[in-house]
Amino acid sequence: MKSRPKAHPNDGASHALTTGRAGSMNRRRFLTVSSLAGIGLLIGIPFANAGAVVDEKNFEPNVYLKFTNTGKIIILAKNPEIGQGVMTALPMLIAEELDVDWSQIDVQQAVLDSRFGEQVAAGSGAIKTNYELLRKAGAVAREIFLEAASKRWSVPLSDCFTRKGAVYRRGTTQAYTYAELVDDTISQVITPEFPRLKDPKDFRLIGTAVSGVENRKIVTGAAVFGLDSRPKGALVAVIARCPVFQGKVKRFDATAALRIDGVIQVVQLPAVASQPALQGVAVIARTTWAALKGREALSVEWDFQGGEQESDQTIRQKANDLLHTVSGAPIRNEGDVDQAFTACVGLHEAVYEVPYWAHATMEPMNYCADVRSDRADLAGPTQVPKAVQERAVEMTGLPAEKIAVQMSRAGGGFGRRLEADYAVEAIALSRQVGKPVQVIWTREDDFQHDFYNLYGQCRLKAGFDATNRLVAWHSKTAGYFWPDSFPAGLIANFRAETVWVNTKIPNGAWRGPGHNVTAFYLQSFLDELATVAHKNPVDLQLDLLGNTDRLFAQNTYGNKVFSTARMRAVIELVAQKSGWYQPSPQGHYRGFASHYTFGTYCAEVVTITRPTPTTYQILKVVAAVDCGRVINHSGATAQIEGGILDGFSTAMNGAIHVENGRVRESNFDEYRLMRINDAPAHIDVHFVPSDAHPMGLGEMGLPPAIPALCNALFAATGKRIRRLPIDLNQA
Amino acid sequence: MASFTLLVNNQSYSVETDANTPLLWVLRDELGLTGTKYGCGKGLCGACTVHQNGQPIRSCLTPVSTVGKSKITTIEGLSATGTHPVQQAWIDIDVPQCGYCQSGQIMAAAGLLAKKKNPTDDDIDAAMAGNLCRCGTYVRIRKAIKLAAQKTGKI
Repeated sequence: MKSRPKAHPNDGASHALTTGRAGSMNRRRFLTVSSLAGIGLLIGIPFANAGAVVDEKNFEPNVYLKFTNTGKIIILAKNPEIGQGVMTALPMLIAEELDVDWSQIDVQQAVLDSRFGEQVAAGSGAIKTNYELLRKAGAVAREIFLEAASKRWSVPLSDCFTRKGAVYRRGTTQAYTYAELVDDTISQVITPEFPRLKDPKDFRLIGTAVSGVENRKIVTGAAVFGLDSRPKGALVAVIARCPVFQGKVKRFDATAALRIDGVIQVVQLPAVASQPALQGVAVIARTTWAALKGREALSVEWDFQGGEQESDQTIRQKANDLLHTVSGAPIRNEGDVDQAFTACVGLHEAVYEVPYWAHATMEPMNYCADVRSDRADLAGPTQVPKAVQERAVEMTGLPAEKIAVQMSRAGGGFGRRLEADYAVEAIALSRQVGKPVQVIWTREDDFQHDFYNLYGQCRLKAGFDATNRLVAWHSKTAGYFWPDSFPAGLIANFRAETVWVNTKIPNGAWRGPGHNVTAFYLQSFLDELATVAHKNPVDLQLDLLGNTDRLFAQNTYGNKVFSTARMRAVIELVAQKSGWYQPSPQGHYRGFASHYTFGTYCAEVVTITRPTPTTYQILKVVAAVDCGRVINHSGATAQIEGGILDGFSTAMNGAIHVENGRVRESNFDEYRLMRINDAPAHIDVHFVPSDAHPMGLGEMGLPPAIPALCNALFAATGKRIRRLPIDLNQA
Repeated sequence: MASFTLLVNNQSYSVETDANTPLLWVLRDELGLTGTKYGCGKGLCGACTVHQNGQPIRSCLTPVSTVGKSKITTIEGLSATGTHPVQQAWIDIDVPQCGYCQSGQIMAAAGLLAKKKNPTDDDIDAAMAGNLCRCGTYVRIRKAIKLAAQKTGKI
């Protein structure tokens, strides 16, 4: 179990949300009457006449929705936005059932509040866990308006229908906008327990392409990210952390730091029981620049606690030793692999290796905390606002309802912000100094104190029988691995084992946890096997999948069932759209890979050229995706595009190196990300038309992208990339 | 500490700060113009791109003492109503994912289009290679710059 990626906070919890919450919506409905001045502050209504106080009525059919009698329709976006597009896609689900024009909607970010249900960004789970719940939230409101209108007209409900934010009376020209129905009588309408959801064929919004709701703010610099959330008067804290993991502060001298203009205080981070790894000395200043200069002037002596002994070499050696000497935990075992190998006609073996990867979100870690004796206000970018609140409860002793958590727009997440370490720092410091504090990490802090994607090594062996069929398969992995991934279940004799390398290097979830490396190992090795067996790599996979649909259990965060027919369909689609079976133009080389990540099927074909013998250029990517129903076509496509480029970027350059217990890379010159000149000219994303329950997309484009690129490089050079990052000179 | 008078987005500001403070932190911490982002502090990522007399520069590497009387434009001042062709194209093509790097991308793109009315893919790659996007919006950035060029041509 230890070798599996960490469980996502939403794993298994989604059912409670979909079955337990919707029924309680009728208890939350209320009508409020308030002055326009107050509402204006809250929701930004421009004042027609600033001098007049106009009564405005507000109707909140449930926690996700607010209507005013002036025509505002506000949808609260419940989950943290980290670039995965949920601030747009989740409200689309509500708006669809509400039967309003998207242009009528004003989307606002929700705060942490248990009434919203689970509020996380993890496991590409937002759409799949909220699909029914949020549609129901919209449908409830729509039925209330229908009922209210039918009462006003004194006609049966069947004489009324809704369209574009209004109720119409059949056979007449009479209509009430929803705004006109917001009055004192609406609160008397009984909330329907089981509102009727639209037949998907009547969807007007779901499946269309909608531009991100905060795009206007983003392009004008008005979007508020975590670093922009500092309240006026709050202090800035920059922390000196031990360069060696799990080291401790021995002593420090703050004299020089305190001489810097603007530096107010220098304190050692207090011990936090739940986060023993948090160690450091914080320079607290009036401005960021003063805090940065203060930290530069600070002198800290560290106790490395033996951590300085660790390096890439020691970690690789440990993995080698374990893989050679220890029999791993068999996380999947079918048939008799050892016996089957002895009977095989052909055998093939390979060893794959991946380095540590950093998350490198464009917005470095940061968090604001204002902890007082009777309450706390927290704000910042996080994928797990609830976990931040729980840490604050533990640390302050305040009850959860006294700890307000705002979710800032996050400048990327990729799994890094599933950790609450940086928020804990802010809470601890604000509590200690008794003032609002924003903790700011520099890029160097961010690279050197990450929770890295784990170093890994995978030894693979496969055997063919006399008819060139794969009959035996063995993998032994140090690090993350998903044992149920294709071709598991399709080879008679199959064993997957894992071993765990103990190190002090922190590791965590990284976009497509486990899948990101599993796909590299398995899909590269399958490409090797195709070469060995003289088969087309696409045919090899289609042959394994077979022609009849078979369903396999998946121990994963997504749909628990893997369908061979749906996998087959995306592979056939990508083959067709990429012209896989036609010869490629002179000098173009193609690679193929597929993978099933958390409920979504994805297959990709990458085309590259070789401008010179030692370089390559990615020309084009074709992707086929089955995620069930697509909600926002633009956002969905963007997630696949981004996942693919993230995969390329990481395969090409991503590597964190450990030397003397510390991370060598400190900024983007050493840990290189893909730049625009390395991006392909085209990425064509094709979704399989589907009525199936929608699944996620944030992570799914990435896992196949890495092996597809490596397989293209093999096609181009004959060199097999078995170690990342790609180095054609070493392969 | 020293006093500086800065011309930012056609507005004059007086700030009192350490002469070595990068323009980035003056904009963000002193002037409250938080649209310009911190990404690396070393001129490697482009998130902090602003215009100095119309030229894209890295505000994280520009000490406030060197700004003098030059005209600084930030994302907030690129257009009065957020309707610069580049801004509009970014919305039309739905470029942003997390959005953090996009003020820098837009400032770099606006700088490119001011010099080259119809940039090729190679021109775009050359002008934009200093701006990192971790979400991988590069293909859409190219499209949006071309759309903005078209729109500018029609004005």
